[in-house]
Amino acid sequence: MIRDITIGQYYPADSKLHRLDPRVKIMCTLFFLISLFCIRNIWGYVVATFFLATVICISKVPFKFIVKGLRPVIMLLMITVIFNLLLTKTGTVVYEIWILRITDEGLRTAGYMTVRLIYLILGSSLMTFTTTPNALTDGIEKLLWPLRKIKLPVHEIAMMMSIALRFIPILLEETDKIMKAQIARGADLESGNIIQKAKAMIPILVPLFVSAFRRATDLAMAMEARCYRGGEGRTKMKPLVYRKKDYIAYAITITYVVFAVLVGR
Amino acid sequence: MRMIKTDNLIFEYKKHDDEGNVIGAHRAIDEINLDIEEGQFIAILGHNGSGKSTLAKHMNAILVPTGGTMWVDGKNTSEEDNIWDVRQSAGMVFQNPDNQIIGTVVEEDVGFGPENLGVPTEEIWRRVEESLSAVGMIEYRHHSPNKLSGGQKQRVAIAGVVAMRPKCIVLDEPTAMLDPNGRKEVLRTVEELRKREKVTVILITHYMEEVVGADRVIVMDKGHIVMDGTTKEVFSQVETLKKYRLDVPQVTLLAHELKKKGYDIPDAVLTTEELVDALACCEIAGTHTVHKSESQSGVSEVSVDVPKEPIIKLDHVNYIYSPGNAYEKHALKDVSLDIYEGEFIGIIGHTGSGKSTLIQHLNGLIKATDGAIYYRGKNIYGEKYNLRQLRNQVGLVFQYPEHQLFEIDVLTDVCFGPKNQGLSVEECKARAIEALQLVGLPEKYYGRSPFDLSGGQKRRVAIAGVLAMKPKVLVLDEPTAGLDPKGRDEILNQIAHLQKEGNLTVILVSHSMEDIAKYVDRIVVMNKGCKMLEGVPKEVFSHYKELESVGLAAPQVSYIMHALVERGIPVDTQATTISEAVETISQILIK
Repeated sequence: MIRDITIGQYYPADSKLHRLDPRVKIMCTLFFLISLFCIRNIWGYVVATFFLATVICISKVPFKFIVKGLRPVIMLLMITVIFNLLLTKTGTVVYEIWILRITDEGLRTAGYMTVRLIYLILGSSLMTFTTTPNALTDGIEKLLWPLRKIKLPVHEIAMMMSIALRFIPILLEETDKIMKAQIARGADLESGNIIQKAKAMIPILVPLFVSAFRRATDLAMAMEARCYRGGEGRTKMKPLVYRKKDYIAYAITITYVVFAVLVGR
Repeated sequence: MRMIKTDNLIFEYKKHDDEGNVIGAHRAIDEINLDIEEGQFIAILGHNGSGKSTLAKHMNAILVPTGGTMWVDGKNTSEEDNIWDVRQSAGMVFQNPDNQIIGTVVEEDVGFGPENLGVPTEEIWRRVEESLSAVGMIEYRHHSPNKLSGGQKQRVAIAGVVAMRPKCIVLDEPTAMLDPNGRKEVLRTVEELRKREKVTVILITHYMEEVVGADRVIVMDKGHIVMDGTTKEVFSQVETLKKYRLDVPQVTLLAHELKKKGYDIPDAVLTTEELVDALACCEIAGTHTVHKSESQSGVSEVSVDVPKEPIIKLDHVNYIYSPGNAYEKHALKDVSLDIYEGEFIGIIGHTGSGKSTLIQHLNGLIKATDGAIYYRGKNIYGEKYNLRQLRNQVGLVFQYPEHQLFEIDVLTDVCFGPKNQGLSVEECKARAIEALQLVGLPEKYYGRSPFDLSGGQKRRVAIAGVLAMKPKVLVLDEPTAGLDPKGRDEILNQIAHLQKEGNLTVILVSHSMEDIAKYVDRIVVMNKGCKMLEGVPKEVFSHYKELESVGLAAPQVSYIMHALVERGIPVDTQATTISEAVETISQILIK
């Protein structure tokens, strides 16, 4: 079950998108997200759809795989739709039952909201699908580099993020294993009220924390053994250098943003 | 040139109370004097907790001596300025493959060391390529480490060390968590590396077979070096090694047993050839030439089962992981299996063959996609079937079960299972004590935190946790993984004892063919989700060629027997354990 979550995962493939500089991808995703919030009519969304569809095509990530990332947020989407439908009071009434009233305005906002949220998730997960977590943290590190002047430990933050990303699948697997082991010992994880359920989590959380700490100690030792001593004096195997294609990507995205915002005003 | 030298090396682990005050010390290394020449292959043996890992961590300046001095490549590790030089000249590979890979892509992980050393970018790329080729992992350079097998991960870890251009590689139980194929893979890599790069290799292990190629073997016990010499010198002292909770390779043990019987065999035989050569000189007793066919007919008699109802019956079970998704995998294919009460069954198969999936079906943790499972004749997928009841009857001990301990003390942890069964506090306690006695844990540990115990003790507590539920069937997934030889024997002997005395049905998943041959009544061989073979050990191991084709093997003794037959000594090729081998040889060969 836990393995089905695709959000934040990397999908190995060799596409133009995969080869872009992570900084470009981070910034362009940001631009794309901003553009979504500036679009106010259907034509703007058509432009956004066209842009997103093209990028997905270029990325070589199977569409099915991307859509799966939406599964965990379906609840959130539903709530947004319902709230927008019911709480928008302006516009002509389309349907009315008891005190609930659905207006055409409400329908439109709900629709836009859903599309906006879906695109938001698709856009940002496309970034993680095409960028290795390491490249992503490298990109963030480089983008945040100027903030070192205000004593922000940029390298350390980036290192922490990259380690966290590497250990997520391992710890998920471990949780699965511990859960099974405790169920095999007769643990009841499903029935009971909230307090009983929370209590039933102790046999899972304690071993999980113990294991996480053990792994942390091991990893720290392994890093030290390989001469890790913070960001000072470190070289990069894959230093970030902007190339022609990166500038082109910037240009295309900016053109899109301008176009979408103009059309969607 | 000396690679490593120590002078009265002492290391103490300090014990702290809750406020952080030192309340005691445990001396893990006690006045060790050691000299290791450059370019040698050194093996360090010792049981769990003998101090061998602590010593290894000194070679990399992860630990610095409490007393005495250690020099690595002529540099004193206690001096702050030398740390980075020491760590670069003595690279270290650790036990757990998951906990030492930092990068999320193979090549980035290998580049991590050189990056830290400040090596220029182009040079990093060259080194990454070279070291990945050296360990044979170059085609995996763009893979995520999470998708690799244990053996592959360890090879990546070795490449990560090689990329730092060390003069010496210290491997701290690199194979302890791997299956036999992974183990071979890693050892082959180390061997090739040694030949090509001429690095000093220090291998810490408690698998005796891995030591055979070493130039020098050092045995540690209680922080001391207790034996030191060539492989032959050390392995000739079988009894002494046993005293230190170790053993010797099966060939050596067989030779030792035969020698005790009065055969003229040299000391410390390390290879099958040596043993066969020695035995070939003996005279054959004339009357036993038909022995082989005789015993074969004997086997078919054994395999006739008494017709009775199986305690667990698997009926055409299929299981598909995450169906309809990119990771879809047909993990079990049409598996049918009858398990009878009181049997000792062994399940073998390489990693990914479906063994773990299979055993998780037995207590309903995984529901078969297709097919049925019957416990005492009742379908466990039936509508009203109580799966929690089933789990009380079929106890499942996972791999590394000690990782599931969570309570404040041992007794309470073992009580967890009985408590879930709804028993009274007194009854839980009584059950827990009984279970702890069964696994042989001394009473003084009952009140301790499970996290303070040694690895072997934790393992016992975890097994007791399942036994306390009084299961009728006990399923164990590699209960001996990571334990030293003595610990392995102790656990298995206890399980075998339970099976005989307590009329317990035991299902043992193991990678060790020697253990399987020694203990089980019946073997099930899994391959690619299918049941490939099934039968008594002798029968299954006689198909050793087929077993090899799926990445398994017969016990070492079988190979010795076959080698003897090839040399014209008509021993019983179906002997799989040391005692059987001794018996058949002594029947056929005159001393």
